[in-house]
Amino acid sequence: MKENILIIGGGAAGMEAATQLHKMGLNPIIVEKSEALGGHIAQWDRLFPAFHPAKDVVEQMLDNVKDIKTYLNTEVTDIQRNNDGFHAVLSNNETIDAKAVILATGFDVFKAERKQEYGYGIYNNVITSVELEEFFRTGKDERINHPKKIGFVHCVGARDVKVCNTYCSKVCCTTALKQACEIKEVFPDAEVYTFYMDLRMFGLGYEDLYLKSQKDFDVKCVRGRVCEVSEDMDGKIVIKAEDTLFGKPLKMTLDLLVLMCSMEKNKSIDAIQQKLGIANNSDGFMQNKDMYLGMNDTAQEGVFVAGACTAPKSLPDTIGEARSVAVEVYNYLNK
Amino acid sequence: MNSQIFHPFVLPFVLGMAFVLTYCVVGLLRVIGQLSKDDRKKFWRSLVTPKTAWANIRDIVGDCLFHVKIWKRNPVLGYMHTAIAFGWFMIIVIGHIMLFTLKPLEGVDVEGFPRMFTNFYYPIFFKYFAEETPVFAFLMDFFLLMIISGILIAVVKKIHSKIVGVKRIMHFGFADNMIRFALWTIFPFRLIAEKTNIMAFWWLYSIDLFVFMFMLPFTRYMHIPTEALFILLRHAGLKPREPRKGYALAQIYSCPSCGLCIDACPMSVNDKNSGNTSAYFMKRLRNGDKEESQRIAETCMQCGKCVAVCPVSIESCDIKMSQREAVPYAINSDHSYLDAYESNETSNASVLYFAGCMTQLTPKIMRAMKQIMEAAGEKYEFMDKDGGVCCGRPMLLSGKTVEAQAMMAKNTELIKKSGAKRLVLSCPICYKVFKEEYQLEGIEILHHTQYIDELIKQGKLKVDKNGTNYVYHDPCELGRAFGVYDEPREVIESIGNLRKAKSEKELSICCGGSLGSFKLTQQERDEITANSVNDLMYNNPDEIVTACPLCLKTFARKAPVAVKDIAEVVATNLI
Repeated sequence: MKENILIIGGGAAGMEAATQLHKMGLNPIIVEKSEALGGHIAQWDRLFPAFHPAKDVVEQMLDNVKDIKTYLNTEVTDIQRNNDGFHAVLSNNETIDAKAVILATGFDVFKAERKQEYGYGIYNNVITSVELEEFFRTGKDERINHPKKIGFVHCVGARDVKVCNTYCSKVCCTTALKQACEIKEVFPDAEVYTFYMDLRMFGLGYEDLYLKSQKDFDVKCVRGRVCEVSEDMDGKIVIKAEDTLFGKPLKMTLDLLVLMCSMEKNKSIDAIQQKLGIANNSDGFMQNKDMYLGMNDTAQEGVFVAGACTAPKSLPDTIGEARSVAVEVYNYLNK
Repeated sequence: MNSQIFHPFVLPFVLGMAFVLTYCVVGLLRVIGQLSKDDRKKFWRSLVTPKTAWANIRDIVGDCLFHVKIWKRNPVLGYMHTAIAFGWFMIIVIGHIMLFTLKPLEGVDVEGFPRMFTNFYYPIFFKYFAEETPVFAFLMDFFLLMIISGILIAVVKKIHSKIVGVKRIMHFGFADNMIRFALWTIFPFRLIAEKTNIMAFWWLYSIDLFVFMFMLPFTRYMHIPTEALFILLRHAGLKPREPRKGYALAQIYSCPSCGLCIDACPMSVNDKNSGNTSAYFMKRLRNGDKEESQRIAETCMQCGKCVAVCPVSIESCDIKMSQREAVPYAINSDHSYLDAYESNETSNASVLYFAGCMTQLTPKIMRAMKQIMEAAGEKYEFMDKDGGVCCGRPMLLSGKTVEAQAMMAKNTELIKKSGAKRLVLSCPICYKVFKEEYQLEGIEILHHTQYIDELIKQGKLKVDKNGTNYVYHDPCELGRAFGVYDEPREVIESIGNLRKAKSEKELSICCGGSLGSFKLTQQERDEITANSVNDLMYNNPDEIVTACPLCLKTFARKAPVAVKDIAEVVATNLI
């Protein structure tokens, strides 16, 4: 009989880990709380840095897991360790006995309402990066109505002590420039500004994306945080910011403001995480054993982690970790 | 054989008494000499003004003699302090009255037996020199035992303070510990000396008195002679101008280092920070430790809770402000932008609303205020709709009075030009400075809690009653500073159920976001916020309501339930 591996979370990390474990001859079981596999990436239109359709990647991944046992609309409600491994109870009252558990629970998008000074949920023309991506994918959002002047705010809910998130969310810089180029494609006569603290273009092709945004799309990058957002009589967005390169405050009227929301730990898994005895790290994500050779291990034997549940990660990072966790689990079972 | 009029053991007492009296007279002249001319005039005038004179008598009797404020705060401590201080006072008074009734000891010549105050040590050591009448003997023993019972409580408090309801007590240096030891032993020695007449105890008693009086000016017990002076100065309406001179000096010496403010201070949630509380600040000032007193003055959040619980009413927040002002730091303020602001003279609004910087950062409050004023049919104008001039309070808090005045002058000009008769503010930080520092004669200044309460009572606003359980957080600068406690509560009760927080009104705990502190780290602030939220969640409310945009932002990060401004709650429940 094949050995069961319980994978909590059916996003990129969960699907890819399941794919690899399946190939190794093990029996991965995915438990996904939402109604479909794919996670956040399935809501995305195109991927940075080369505008690759996210759909292609997601469809490939879904195809890989089509023979794998998957529970949708299901959560793990209880989990206990026994002599054989783990005994998990699901929300549909079924139970799973598994040799090992992989936590691939990913992230939550920062709730932009918490940064009230940016006016999300208060002013009509303030949207989030996730909603803009949705607009690219579906072409539908009545708030986006031929804007002439568009602003992007980086680091919303990241590198910000005031919301208790001091970490960098890693992917928003590149995403902002990708989306800035894309919106310019949709509205070629619009002026596009991004307000950044640093532009962290660290990966292969990312810097090229930045150069492209400057040369081909004329995206104007302003170094400085937006401090205040308000609405004028015509319902346009008025922002106050500081241009820290010029050392001067600036005020600008915009038709659309996009907030680049950070990643936060997915808190819906907290109860199970606590039962498994996994602590959080200083950024509030799950604590792995160490960041070099034990990145998939946890303080608890038989419990593994992969993907953005331990820190903000890009898609390639996540896929890499999902594959490495499969190796770790395989080695653990053959010990 | 007893001499009728003298024995060498009275000498230590006489010396100590002479020293402390001289010191007090010099100190009194110094304090009064250091007052500014205007303040001095105010002071003399207050002594003969019937209203302040009456307040003086009331407070000197109430506070210095009966310690009413300590009783209110903590009855056990009230008894402890009253037993010692009032008991001692009574022994001195009765001792002096008794002078007229004392009989010489048997077989002693009556000649030269004092009937007047010529030998002022007589009432202190009378038992050695004379015999008292039974009634007085009983009274003297009664008060002596009362003192000793007070001392027993003090010993218990020192060993295990929690028994008397105090979590943290002050830690003292050598001098304060020694004088306390002297105080604790004076009365047991006196009791033994009186009952046994052993000469050694008469000496010990007198030496103890000497130690106590000689060390008094250098320790916290200086509050005994100083508090009365402080009460007089306080009622004269003075403000501390320099951290170690004049009025402030009187306050420094009046602080008894009782440490009641240590438990009260929001910073004490982390034991490491209990050294930043007002009791320690006053002690540092007394010791002339400029560096530490400056550091504490800059760490303090200015929430005013220490002033609210202080049994002596020391105005430590004001002294800290004067300490901040005392240190100049280089800053070049550029106020040229002020000229760009013009008022709308055409407006015919009767209510002017000033959002202020913090409300600009919480636009939900502004939107709610707009809805409310529209619904009430008020003629209003948003004064800083397109950005405005800061109220000046942050500058004042950093001790930059001149810089603040430039902004205040501009705002005053804009407000007066508008012609509005009422100014409404939704930020208590602004409210405090507008109320205290602005000269806006003929213009009524209201916080939005008061304004909304009035609109509801006048029937201009109709609200829907629902079943939500709210808890209200008193912002420091609205509650403790101006006593606005009832209006917000009445507004909330007209909409939902008001649950109580664990500490309310003048004991409300600062949210931790205060502009007052320059030195607290984010982590230290978070600890304070978490503690304050716990306190508010005491009765499991569904929502936390506050009336300050800064409290709102601070709580929103830590609270397990929704946090709303009172204006939002009203706006969403309008009929």
